[in-house]
Amino acid sequence: MKLELGYIDIKGIRFDDYNAIEDGVLVVNPDELVKPVLEDELIKSAHFEIAAPGESVRITPVKDVIEPRVKVEGPGAIFPGMIAKVDTVGSGRTHVMRGMAVVTAGPIVGFQEGIIDMTGPGADYSPFSQLHNLVLVMEMQDNGATAHEYEKAARMAGLATAARVGELARELVPDEVEVFETPTIAQSYSDELKDLPRVAYVMMLQSQGLLHDTYCYGVDVKRTLTTMISATEVMDGAIVSGNCVSACDKNTTYHHLNNPVIQDLFKQHGKTLNYVGTIITNENVYLADKLRSSDWTAKLADFLSLDAAIVSQEGFGNPDTDLILNCKKLEAKGVKTVIITDEYAGQDGKSQSLADADVAADAVVTGGNANELILLPPMDRVIGCLDYVDKIAGGHDGSLRPDGSIEAELQVITGSTNEMGFNRLSAR
Amino acid sequence: MSAKAYKVVTNNPLVKERLDESVELYFFEEDTHRDLLERVRDFVHKGYRILTHPLAGSVKPWETPYRSVMITAEKEDKIDISSLEMIEQAIFALEKSKARPVVLNEKVLVDFQLIDLSLIQSALPSAEAQGRH
Repeated sequence: MKLELGYIDIKGIRFDDYNAIEDGVLVVNPDELVKPVLEDELIKSAHFEIAAPGESVRITPVKDVIEPRVKVEGPGAIFPGMIAKVDTVGSGRTHVMRGMAVVTAGPIVGFQEGIIDMTGPGADYSPFSQLHNLVLVMEMQDNGATAHEYEKAARMAGLATAARVGELARELVPDEVEVFETPTIAQSYSDELKDLPRVAYVMMLQSQGLLHDTYCYGVDVKRTLTTMISATEVMDGAIVSGNCVSACDKNTTYHHLNNPVIQDLFKQHGKTLNYVGTIITNENVYLADKLRSSDWTAKLADFLSLDAAIVSQEGFGNPDTDLILNCKKLEAKGVKTVIITDEYAGQDGKSQSLADADVAADAVVTGGNANELILLPPMDRVIGCLDYVDKIAGGHDGSLRPDGSIEAELQVITGSTNEMGFNRLSAR
Repeated sequence: MSAKAYKVVTNNPLVKERLDESVELYFFEEDTHRDLLERVRDFVHKGYRILTHPLAGSVKPWETPYRSVMITAEKEDKIDISSLEMIEQAIFALEKSKARPVVLNEKVLVDFQLIDLSLIQSALPSAEAQGRH
C-alpha cells in the first residue's frame, strides 16, 4: 500500500466566528464546532479552550489526544468504522495538521485520567506539551447512563471533532509531503530487499474493558485474533484509543497515528532492514486468550519468515504476561525479538520492573519508571478540573496541595512513559 | 443456572450484585485485596486452575481493594504449576508496594468496583465460548 502524507504545519489556534486555516493558524468558531458535540444527549455541557506550548496551563483529566487528518485521495476516510464507514484506508493521500491536536478532557470515573502541563517540569514528560491544543472539555449528564456509555460518547465526540477540524486542511497545499509504501510478500523478496533482515512490528493493543479498550476499524480488539495490518492503515486512523488508564503508558489516538516504531522502521526499510509487515495482537484478561493470541503472533512471524521483531506493549500489570508470552514464542521460532515496555520499579527504582519475566527477554527498551515522583508546580490556568487529581493513578490523597502544586508519580502525565517510545526524554 | 466450567472468586460487591444470577461466585466481602489473592492461591493449592490473570490491567493493585479472579469449577488431581506461579507473582506485585497510600474516597471506591467488574466481564464471552478450560 502506498500513502502520501501531506503535512500542513499549524503554528497557532485562535477563536473567531468562522473556521479556516490562515497562514498556518487554525481559526475555529467554537460555538459552531461544539453544536454537534452537544447533540449527544449524554453530554451535559461542552466547550473548547486553547493551550499553546510554553503557556502556564494544566489540562486535566485528559481522555484522548487526536491529530486532525483528512483523506483527500484514495478509498475510505479517517477513522473508518468509527467516524467514517468501514472501507480499507491506507492508500492515496492524507493531509495531516501537524503541530496541533484535539484533546478531550473531562471525568468519566473518579480516578485515572492524565495531566498535560504546557510548561514547567511536567511539560518535559509529555510530548503533547509541544503541540497547539484545541481542548474539548466535556461534562456528562447524570442521567443513569453507564460509564461505558459515557466513555463512548466522549470518545466519539473527540474523534468527530478532530475529523471536522481535519476537513479544513482538505484543499490546502502541504508544507511537506512524505511517502510511505508497504511491500507485498512478493515485493519483500525483490533484489533490493532480499538480503536484508526481515523485520516485523508487533503492536500490542490493550483490550480489557472500560477505559482499557482499543478499536480497529470499529471492532473491539478484545474480540479479535492476532492479525496483520498495513502500517499506512494505522496512519489513516484504522486504530483508535478507548484507553486512558493509566495515563503514562496508554496509547492515545495521536500515538497510533504517529507511531514512532512504524516511522523508524520505514526510515530503515531498504537500508538496514526489510520491514515486511505489522502484526496487531490484543491483551485480554482471559488466560486462554493470552495463549491463543501469542501463539498466533508466533505463527504469523513464521508465516512471514521473520528474522527479527520489535514488540511494543500497552499498559502494565497482566499485559506484562502477554508481552513475555509474545517474546518467548517469537524467540522460540528463532525470531530475534526486542520488547518495548515501561517500568513500575517503585519510587526508589529498586523493585522488579515487570510482573513477568523470561530469559528470552534479553533485549528490552524501557520508556521509564512510572513510579518516579515528580513535583508539578501550580499553573496560572487549569483546563478541565483538579477535583480528580487526588484520585488519579499516580496521585494519592494529599497529592494536590493548597497552592495548586501536585506531588505525584509520573503515571499521572499523559504519555510520560509511553511504550511505543513516543517520549521526549531519553538516557541515550 | 446451568453448571458452568468456571467460577469467580471475588471480594467486589458490585460483581456480586451484577453477576450473581448468571455466574457462580465465591464472594468474600471482608477480604482485602491481599486476602483475596491468598484465597485464590489456596484454591490453586487444592487443584483448581486460574482462568483469568490475577493482576489488573493497569489499575495498580496497591490502590484498588477489589479483585475478581476466574478459576475452574472443578479441581484436578494435581496442582497447576503455571497457575501457582502466576498467583505468586501477583501477590509479589502487591507486596512490593505495601507502603503506598490507599484511596478511601467513596465515589472512587465505587469506580474501582466498576473497573474490576468490567475486567471480569470482558472475560465472560471467552469463558462461555470455550469448550475445554
